[in-house]
Amino acid sequence: MAAQNGHQPNGYNWDALVQAEEGLVSRRLFVEEEIYQRELEKIFAKCWLFLCHESQLPRPGDFISTYMGEDPVVVMRGKDGVIRAFLNSCRHRGMRVCRADAGNAAAFTCAYHAWTYANDGRLIGVPNHQDAYYGELDKDQWGLVPVAQLDQYAGLIFATWDPAAPSLADYLGDMKYYMDMVFNRRPGGSELFGGTHKWTMPCNWKLAADNFVGDMYHAPFSHGSAIRARIATLERPEESLRGLMQPQMMQVNPGGGHGMGVSLIDQGANTPQAFQHPVLRAYNESIRAEMEQHLGVERASQLAPVHASVFPNFSFLGSGTLRVWHPRGPGRMEIWAWVWCDKDAPQEVKDVQRVQSQYNFNASGMFEQDDGENWNQCTVASRGYVGRRQPFNYQMGVGHDERMEQLPGWKGANFAEINQRGFYQRWRELMSAE
Amino acid sequence: MTTVAADLLREVEQFLYAEARLLDERRFHEWLELFTPDIHYWMPTRSNRMLNDLDNELSKPGELAYFDDTLLMLRGRVARLDTGMAWAEDPPSRTQRLLTNVQIDAVEGDEVKVHLGFLIQRCRNETEEDLFIGYRDDVLRRVDGGFKIAKRKIVLGQNVLSAKNLSIFF
Repeated sequence: MAAQNGHQPNGYNWDALVQAEEGLVSRRLFVEEEIYQRELEKIFAKCWLFLCHESQLPRPGDFISTYMGEDPVVVMRGKDGVIRAFLNSCRHRGMRVCRADAGNAAAFTCAYHAWTYANDGRLIGVPNHQDAYYGELDKDQWGLVPVAQLDQYAGLIFATWDPAAPSLADYLGDMKYYMDMVFNRRPGGSELFGGTHKWTMPCNWKLAADNFVGDMYHAPFSHGSAIRARIATLERPEESLRGLMQPQMMQVNPGGGHGMGVSLIDQGANTPQAFQHPVLRAYNESIRAEMEQHLGVERASQLAPVHASVFPNFSFLGSGTLRVWHPRGPGRMEIWAWVWCDKDAPQEVKDVQRVQSQYNFNASGMFEQDDGENWNQCTVASRGYVGRRQPFNYQMGVGHDERMEQLPGWKGANFAEINQRGFYQRWRELMSAE
Repeated sequence: MTTVAADLLREVEQFLYAEARLLDERRFHEWLELFTPDIHYWMPTRSNRMLNDLDNELSKPGELAYFDDTLLMLRGRVARLDTGMAWAEDPPSRTQRLLTNVQIDAVEGDEVKVHLGFLIQRCRNETEEDLFIGYRDDVLRRVDGGFKIAKRKIVLGQNVLSAKNLSIFF
């Protein structure tokens, strides 16, 4: 355990910091600046990261600003209809080129020296190109810095800075099978509502990703207030309490550091689905036959999605929220959250999904408030000299993971930390790479 | 300002101050009594837009909002605080609400439209401190000689909220 007590001569001993198979992960991962800086390189500049949903860029010229790690990125639909993404920084002196959250523009003129970029990233205007640059600056070489690869899955647009990264389809791997239960429920796919919830959380970003990837264990106690309040005042059936206290679920680890908590809806009413708003429950019943046609019986009538993360920092719930955990140093992140719905759903259903999802999950959310309190104080209480020398315990269910025969991936019990262990294995693999 | 208008403004201000005090003193059940059954309590998101696109600065009805509550949903929030398990508010926030720049925009039948600025200091735990600054557009309705709140739109200045949650009321 010497490695846990300090630096190795030539860097970190990653195998000692992350003993994922044994369920021990050093708290140094959550508090140390040097590790964080390496994450920006080895994780955020390597992995496929979620940028936005194609429904947010319906028209040519539409753009949206976001981040990949701490790098500002602008995603735009060119006049040719193609969606591209670029480092949001002028090639001349680095000034942010797009200074709005979203909008529509044919071109972006840098406010510093007026270099102008078309909405496909090409540099199309340089003041004094003839007299100051003698016509010698090759504009073709100085367009906005593009991401290395951009692709979409079920309307979700991802990009990576790594030209050698596997394709998005390979990166998501078997997670696609489970993501379809959220974003590909009906032939029309999914869409996002307008607006973005954005707020700041003083915690390490991994605590949030690790909660969404596999932590159903916290729900009965962390969310005890929201569950009880909703049953007391908001006409949820008393028996739905069981659906959240001891739900019929399993944790699915499809590999790649991704994971999802899945309801076994064919095994009775004790699932989080019993907690749904009556309008949404009726809607889900009404589309069940179509879903069986579209996705097959397993994903329509036997399983239902509850919580999930795509490695590293994209998470979503079956009930509507999806979000990115933007890292802002080892002890801080920004949460950018949206709500998805079926594009083909009736307006009344969409409205209920939006209102119910954000009532539970957003900065004011009945459930979310208590999550943030935990992640914040987990980080703060691990910062000290003694605290950071302790591991976090991820031993729940070690040795009890099972390879599934009928479905892709491995499974653990409802209360199991199989997915967190998979998440940190993947983290270690990337961080220990040369 | 006519005497009638001055009296009305003073009555409105005193109502709003009393409401703010109920919240600062955590008298949430009394606070819930101040709303009409059809209350819409709404805090849209505020995005960062260029001048030529300011119409899209605030999220619209039907889009995302930090609060988009009916009376039933507000009651749910108070019920949550009553459970003894609302960890984000236990220990509770220590709040001081300052209301200012109160103006009556219109009097229509039994309703008064009020615009005001607010500054809420929220302290919590050892060193947490948030300042929530923004404006409100309230619709107050005459009920039994007093006022009830029939509509509330809350707008914060921040794009990315610097607070870790919105666990208090506005």
